[in-house]
Amino acid sequence: MTSYRLPKGGLIDRQAPLSFTFDGTPLQGLAGDSLASALLANGQLLVGRSFKYHRPRGILTAGAAEPNALVTIGRGGRTEPNTRATMQELYEGLEAQSQNRWPSLNFDVGALNGLLSPFLGAGFYYKTFMWPAPLWEKLYEPFIRRAAGLGKASYEADPDAYEKSWAHCDLLVIGAGPTGLAAALTAGRAGARVILVDEGSLPGGSLLFDTATIDGKAAADFARDASGELQSMPNLRVMMRTTAFGWYDGNVFGAVERVQKHVRDPVNHVPVERLWRIVARQALLATGAEERPLVFGGNDRPGVMMASAMRAYLNRYGVAPGKATAIFTMNDSGYALARDLEAAGVDVVAIVDSRPSAGVEYHGKARLVREAVVCGTKGRKTISAIEVYRDGRKETIAIDALAMAGGGSPIIHLACHRGGKPVWSPEKAAFLAPEGLKDLAVAGAVAATTGLAACLGEGAAKAQAIVKDLGLSCPPVAIPNVDGDEGADPGRPLWSIPGVKGKAFVDFQNDVNLKDIGLAVREGYSHVELAKRYTTSGMATDQGKLSNVNAIGLIAKARGVSPAEVGTTTFRPFYTPVSFGALTGAHTGHHFQPVRKSPLHDWAKKHGAVFVETGLWYRSSWFPRTGERTWRESVEREVLNVRKNAGLCDVSMLGKIEISGRDAAEFLNRVYCNAFLKLPVGRARYGLMLREDGMIYDDGTTSRLEENRFFMTTTTAYAAGVMNHLEFCAQALWPDLEVRLASITDQWAQMAIAGPKARTILQKVVDEDISDAAFPFLAAKEVSLFGGALHGCLFRISFSGELAYELAVPAGYGESVADALMEAGKDHGIMPYGVETLSVLRIEKGHVTHNEINGTVVPADLGFGKMVSATKPDFIGKAMLQREGLAAPDRPQLVGVVPFNPEQSFRTGSHILAKGAAATLENDQGYVTSSAYSPHIGSTIALALVKNGPDRHGEEVVVWNGLYGESTPARLCNPVFFDPQNERLHV
Amino acid sequence: MSEFRPTHRPALGTKQTVSSAALRLSPLPEGTIIHVLAQPGEQDVVSFLGRFTKSPAHAVRPVSPGQWFIVHDEPMPHQEMKSLFATLEPRATGVDQSHGRVRIRIEGKMASRALSKGTAIDLDPSVFPIGQSAVTLIGHIAAHITRVGSEAFEIIVLRGFAESLWDDLARMSLEFS
Repeated sequence: MTSYRLPKGGLIDRQAPLSFTFDGTPLQGLAGDSLASALLANGQLLVGRSFKYHRPRGILTAGAAEPNALVTIGRGGRTEPNTRATMQELYEGLEAQSQNRWPSLNFDVGALNGLLSPFLGAGFYYKTFMWPAPLWEKLYEPFIRRAAGLGKASYEADPDAYEKSWAHCDLLVIGAGPTGLAAALTAGRAGARVILVDEGSLPGGSLLFDTATIDGKAAADFARDASGELQSMPNLRVMMRTTAFGWYDGNVFGAVERVQKHVRDPVNHVPVERLWRIVARQALLATGAEERPLVFGGNDRPGVMMASAMRAYLNRYGVAPGKATAIFTMNDSGYALARDLEAAGVDVVAIVDSRPSAGVEYHGKARLVREAVVCGTKGRKTISAIEVYRDGRKETIAIDALAMAGGGSPIIHLACHRGGKPVWSPEKAAFLAPEGLKDLAVAGAVAATTGLAACLGEGAAKAQAIVKDLGLSCPPVAIPNVDGDEGADPGRPLWSIPGVKGKAFVDFQNDVNLKDIGLAVREGYSHVELAKRYTTSGMATDQGKLSNVNAIGLIAKARGVSPAEVGTTTFRPFYTPVSFGALTGAHTGHHFQPVRKSPLHDWAKKHGAVFVETGLWYRSSWFPRTGERTWRESVEREVLNVRKNAGLCDVSMLGKIEISGRDAAEFLNRVYCNAFLKLPVGRARYGLMLREDGMIYDDGTTSRLEENRFFMTTTTAYAAGVMNHLEFCAQALWPDLEVRLASITDQWAQMAIAGPKARTILQKVVDEDISDAAFPFLAAKEVSLFGGALHGCLFRISFSGELAYELAVPAGYGESVADALMEAGKDHGIMPYGVETLSVLRIEKGHVTHNEINGTVVPADLGFGKMVSATKPDFIGKAMLQREGLAAPDRPQLVGVVPFNPEQSFRTGSHILAKGAAATLENDQGYVTSSAYSPHIGSTIALALVKNGPDRHGEEVVVWNGLYGESTPARLCNPVFFDPQNERLHV
Repeated sequence: MSEFRPTHRPALGTKQTVSSAALRLSPLPEGTIIHVLAQPGEQDVVSFLGRFTKSPAHAVRPVSPGQWFIVHDEPMPHQEMKSLFATLEPRATGVDQSHGRVRIRIEGKMASRALSKGTAIDLDPSVFPIGQSAVTLIGHIAAHITRVGSEAFEIIVLRGFAESLWDDLARMSLEFS
């Protein structure tokens, strides 16, 4: 016999059949079914194989804690392994596959593991696979992983969209069962901003299968009406199919909404899952309780089910568990199930009650076996009989379904995510949430409150108190009248069962049985955290939702202490698994990170630029022309052209900061190590900014445009860092200085016009005289362009070593001005050039960048020792710069390097060795910081930081690269390879 | 080249307005944005700035302590801006950000829901009323949000990120289009 659909009853739509497949077999369910209920309705009790022993497993629960019924849903990129059949809503065309079996679910070769089970107890792997050590990674682990496991992820890309969102509320109610509904109604009616989340598809929780009436309505109808009222309130948001998975600092809750996991073909403009961060002023946990399994032999056989789950399948889904059912209970809940089963026409063969008497009366047909336990089960792939142990005797009773009711464990997980430890209550026989949680209350079954009326009342009362705390007035709360409320006796926990025969499972998902727990205690792993790791109880996707409390009870019994003394393992997010898709959200592909575009991006693009990502910026790297086969050819052309004619380079991404105020000059004088106080208006100066430890932080030019207004440039990479640094200096170090800072990086399109013909070209667009006499090297000022049509800033500064200018114009006009300059320079050979050429030009001139300013250098290391002011009373870095080590003669210092043989080359990052020295750490003389092929020198040239470098010009060395196995004879030299007298700057 | 007239190219010039019954996303004209930085200790700067923003087309948006944006749909001529800066001194300094920042408008009954996909700010009118501004992250991009109507927001973002933010906002709005 097996499970089947009842002819009537349930909240399913019998007029809406849905076709689906399980392991390729076509089956039919109904709208409103979960995959689990549909499988049961089709008599499919066997749905999976266990992790380790490949034992046949069925459906144990009707909710989130399901450890057995894990299936793979979908195909291709939408394949989703380890989906709980109990949580998966059925939809037309759903494809489900069982897992961890080969070749089929019914005939699984892996089940042979069961024969070896006497040797595969807890700690087996640790004891057996210790040696030889190299075999662990090569043989043992791959083999074990193949033999044991869950579903397999797809290698195909996920085609669906995910996203994240924020939400805010006065009160977050987690759980839309009776307690949560009552709380949400109370707070919502009071006008509070309320969010109600629940992981199910329908609000109601246990009301969806409770047979009590509330104010004369069926419980499910009450839930529907309450939900309707909540959804009509503008101040209330009901979020179904949403699991609150974590509680974080600031009373922020993480939740994942399964937006389109219940449809066959998700629409592409809506995400399939949405990760919520819910900021709540107050929160109420109304998550209910999880029914505990009972640990008897063969308690994992398909057909054995939690009593509450059996009731849910019966009353909500109209599915009977079998024709002849038994109930094993240690509290009164089993009797409610018996009553419902009999009302539905299902025979209840026996009720096995561990107590001498029940707290409720029972008048049904089932045989009552009191002070007895189920100690074992029989059957192959489904249960066929139970063995009942009573007074030292065993009796076999033929059945085809068994419900077990082991008491409730409050679902307190979220309440413990911020460090609070669960507290054992002997009276309630349960671990409860710690008291005094800030801004988080618990109500209902999660607080071990039992009985429907009590839960409704507590939910309303807690919400009322919260609403008052929030400063809102709360109208009197009318508690609904409940008829048919069930008993409130939590029962005595039944940790161990006498006469157990066969494997009695504590943790179903990890195949941890009673003996494993005992073994762990005997072998010294009785601490709950050690026992978890030794046995694996409480691990994997369900994180011990069903098993942990039983494991703790068994450890406590073995140790002869209370569960309070054993305690729990640590509760951490996530409550249930969250997909990587939801955690990633929309930040994939094109949206992985923002793109920052220069105002000259499109100008560069139309000139054929090849772009390179530098941070978030897209910079033009080089501009290939027809016939050029390699990037080197393009770059050499650009380099030669700048030195011969002129080039235009986009330098908009340099950081730009406007510094103004009465004390702006003094501020800069303290920020830079060189002097700025007396920089004349209309002049630019190269500045070195040190860190407090004396190392160079950043460099750039700063121009004084007015007496109290400066235009600072920073390197591209450090633009934000320098801005933050300056803000810190202004606000924290020197609040007495009157200075204001504004980032203007994006305001200006800035272009370098470099080359002997730069002035001729530029003069065509600049209205003012820019001759050497009128606008000499390091001049800076605001200029008028195109006869006053536009205004910009012009700086005569040069990174290339050529006659050069940098022109800044309002960003929206950048492309147009660049077009005009290209037109003006057309007859003078102007060409665009990119950062590769810029780099070659600056290496030829020995100019440094953050390749050299790498956090380990002081000004003297780069030849800037004389720039450091000896007269300023203070500047950042001054004190630490005096340290002995920073003036040591053997510090790595800037030097040039060229290969002896121009045909040979070497790479940046290579190390410098003295000629003939072995390649050892002790012999390391320094390293190459920048290198490039110089068309002017006709060979590779490089800058390097070499011990005592400036005194070693002319010395033969070896440039060594261990990674590539290269050794190149080379010569140290002056780092300025081109125009060492800087004559070209001043023409 | 005194006869040459430079052409202004808006950062979002190629973007089409996204419009539906529930939401409308549109680039705003690149007019004027002046960053005002008050001298430390200055009082009543907002009322001081009010005299420069008498026209309803002008608006003052708080940025951070002592800092505001003056925004306007039309560009301000160079000399007029210089005069304004001079008038602000010494109580405050003006910095032209008309090209450095780009404004985007998002409006409609689902506008705040769409924005909530990017920003952690509570946009409920009870805590973020009309006229309220905040600097925030929208996804990975820093932006400045102002509620300019009961269901309308103005976003100010760095020009370099404008296109990227627009793409993000368009994606965040897809559900409501």
